[in-house]
Amino acid sequence: MAATMWGEPFGRAARTRRVCATCMHEPLRCALRAGVLILFLAAIAAAGACRRGPAVDATQVTAMPVTGALPTEDPLSALWNRAPEHPAALLPQDVVEPTLAAPGATRVNVRALHNREWIVFRLGWEDATENTLAEIGVTSDSVALQLPVAPGTQVPDPAMGEAGKAVQLLYWKALWQGDAERAAAGQDRVAALYPNATTDHYPFLANPAAKEEMARRYAPAEAAGNPITRPPGASPVQELLAEGYGTTTAAPAQRAIGRGAWRDGRWLVTLARPLDEGDGLARLTVGQKTVLAVAVWDGASRQAGARKMRSAWIPLVLEAAPAP
Amino acid sequence: MARVFNWQLGRAMDYWYPENRPKRQFGAVFDINKCIACQTCTLSCKTTWTSGRGQEFMFWNNVETKPYGYYPLAWDVTLLEALGAQTWDGATYTGRTVFEAAPPGERVLGWMPDGMDYASPNIGEDEITGQVDKGMALTLPQQVWMFYLARICNHCTYPACLSSCPRASIYKRPEDGIVVLDQSRCRGYQECVRACPYKKVYFNPATGTSEKCIACFPKIEEGIQPQCFVNCIGKIRLQGWVNPPARAREDNPIDYLVHVRKLALPLYPQFGLEPNVYYVPPVNVPDAFLVQMFGPDAPAAVKTYRNARHDRTLAGLFALFGSTERTIPFFRISGDEAIALDDDRREIVRVPIYEPLFIRPAEDPARRIIRLNVT
Repeated sequence: MAATMWGEPFGRAARTRRVCATCMHEPLRCALRAGVLILFLAAIAAAGACRRGPAVDATQVTAMPVTGALPTEDPLSALWNRAPEHPAALLPQDVVEPTLAAPGATRVNVRALHNREWIVFRLGWEDATENTLAEIGVTSDSVALQLPVAPGTQVPDPAMGEAGKAVQLLYWKALWQGDAERAAAGQDRVAALYPNATTDHYPFLANPAAKEEMARRYAPAEAAGNPITRPPGASPVQELLAEGYGTTTAAPAQRAIGRGAWRDGRWLVTLARPLDEGDGLARLTVGQKTVLAVAVWDGASRQAGARKMRSAWIPLVLEAAPAP
Repeated sequence: MARVFNWQLGRAMDYWYPENRPKRQFGAVFDINKCIACQTCTLSCKTTWTSGRGQEFMFWNNVETKPYGYYPLAWDVTLLEALGAQTWDGATYTGRTVFEAAPPGERVLGWMPDGMDYASPNIGEDEITGQVDKGMALTLPQQVWMFYLARICNHCTYPACLSSCPRASIYKRPEDGIVVLDQSRCRGYQECVRACPYKKVYFNPATGTSEKCIACFPKIEEGIQPQCFVNCIGKIRLQGWVNPPARAREDNPIDYLVHVRKLALPLYPQFGLEPNVYYVPPVNVPDAFLVQMFGPDAPAAVKTYRNARHDRTLAGLFALFGSTERTIPFFRISGDEAIALDDDRREIVRVPIYEPLFIRPAEDPARRIIRLNVT
């Protein structure tokens, strides 16, 4: 039967319930889709098999333990079925101008897995177009996951933290992932934007020995070490710190990795980082209860910076492995 | 929003940050009547600053023909239409600025151009306002007209780009008022591109940050004028320092043209940014067009300019345009010469106010021959 790969129940009350791992619908709905008596019997059999599917948890994100390697760069891995899914509600950013006028994706589905050393989140949301390039008036699809640096009772302002209460962000940009794919094909952003363009001359090509140095003169953002300019081989996930909106800076350590896959109007993106990243960054430990928040940007709608859909703080629990 | 005073509008207005004028403000005067659209200014800027990957479409300096040219497309008419009625009561602006007209949830009334809007920088070049019909003769005032508008970043006193950045990545240098976009801080949100009414900030797709004219500030720091000024063939540009009216000095070239003689006017003052590049308006253009573009003083400025040749101070000052590579903070007229002075009032250069005129008789009596007039 035709079913979306990661469909979700709409308009239901917030409760934990079982869904079929195969078609992601509740067992009875599986049966109705079948439609005729013979298939009804098959559906009953299927319903029996559906008891082992992942849950939808509307109250929190639970990072389930796994042993061995995590699907840190595989958003389509079967391992994700082990994690319950939290449908995080998004609202337009309206704390500071410029606010988001036309709302976009209203939900991000969050799952998490950990293996006591690394944690990986998978975020899924609807996006009609895949925007992996940015130019005038077009921005890149992005998603960010926010954690308080110091978990505890005094959670920071969910709008990018506040002075003295920092937040850490794992920020994935489709543009950076696109850069790696383009570089593998020997193409850069300008060639991808304007495939038919020719340029008569770049001054920095006149002197091969000084080419790199001269090219950087015309790219001051790179020469200045701006973290927004990343070499094509870098991870598409950047670690950032902030103490209030407008204060985002690159974290001292950049160990996060991840990968996004866009299909049929949906992004699925993994964000992974070590549990322990040292001082100054959010420390995650097994058995811990903390919070997280998410934000998404739709490149086709020119969303960037403050023009975003964002969530409130959501409880995050790192579940300990079951006793052997 | 704070309240600040904008002398070009003759009133206070809203701005995102409180009033904070720099120690000295970069100021410039462009004489439109001398511009021939040779684009040497454009070339000099592009060779110096925007010859990198991702910068191909950028013209931090551009020259467009008015009324039918624009770069980017429709940059001024789009905003003029959105701003609503722009009315003046004498020297006081009674309409809305782009800050006062900001829609809810926005800091500035702006709009985001399309990539394709930058694809035709020469659109409308040399297009005149009407047909030239058979039998038409040259009259004054001219029946059809056009003029060239050379534009750089205006290094405004109240920049829309600066106020629109959520990260405060754009700042005004306190020593010279030049508006600079911090390339190490920008994260490519493009709010500045959207907000600038003059569309003089550009997004670089190769680096993912936005870039703009920097008034060649490394040259300014050495006391020399920007690239587009010193390379101008027509010598239409002069860079100096402009003061608010209360501090205007008669021996300061920019103050003299802007405040004392009211001959050099701001571009679209009604936007409310207090731009610091001033224009001597073209003399062959109808008043209504000039008033919309340069404010209510435009028709009087045209009259002043038509008489400039007979005004020793004005004629001498214009002769100093393009006479030296160095910034001219002060000047004086002495006899038949105009003298450019540095910050300590020491002479930079002196030029004759009027070029000497020699008339060669048609007949050469010594050789008993008629001289050919080969021109």
